[in-house]
Amino acid sequence: MTFETRVRTAILEVFAETGIAPSPAGIAERLRAKLDPVLEAWDRLREGRAIVTGEAGLSIRMANPFSGIPTGHTFESAGIRYYANCAWDVLGIPAALGRGGTVRSRCAHSGESLRLQVGDEGPESCDWLFHSLVPAAHWWDDIVFT
Amino acid sequence: MLFFRSEDDLRAWCRERGVEPGPAVPVHQLWRLSRVWYGSRLDPEGPRPTPGEARAIFAGVGLTGSFWDPVPRQE
Repeated sequence: MTFETRVRTAILEVFAETGIAPSPAGIAERLRAKLDPVLEAWDRLREGRAIVTGEAGLSIRMANPFSGIPTGHTFESAGIRYYANCAWDVLGIPAALGRGGTVRSRCAHSGESLRLQVGDEGPESCDWLFHSLVPAAHWWDDIVFT
Repeated sequence: MLFFRSEDDLRAWCRERGVEPGPAVPVHQLWRLSRVWYGSRLDPEGPRPTPGEARAIFAGVGLTGSFWDPVPRQE
């Protein structure tokens, strides 16, 4: 496993364990590595779209399906609240974690609340709809907007 | 990427913004996509799909057509 892969995996593990974005220093400590190589891996992961960072390039805005900042799409499980980047990712979190919980979101038009139980076999019956305004070929033109 | 309670809500939201609606995907279909797309994301060998893999994943859950093609078309 490359060091970059170890860093990527560690980032996602911290999100899965805590629901909170790790810092480069936290990942360095977790991997018992020096900070500089972690920062170099951080840059490569950003270039490879494995993470999206904040303005300073250090804080994690996205490590799909997890969001590093609070959003209106949440998944709660095992006493942990996870923030998702979008309506897709809020179902991506239980898929990634492999465990059930509660999805909460809203209708983008009416504001009606969505509360959706997700079990081991997936979400309960639900007639809501998912919509992406941006075609797949252009998602990464502006991933935050997408 | 957003949720809508109904087709009417989706159409109204798009109309208010002067945009054409894209495909509306039922939640159960989104779950199938999520499970394939993200099911192995925490594994060291489970990175983001390549464009070719993404196209196959979308097709595998019934999401086909140019909207779901991850490779930009040549203008």
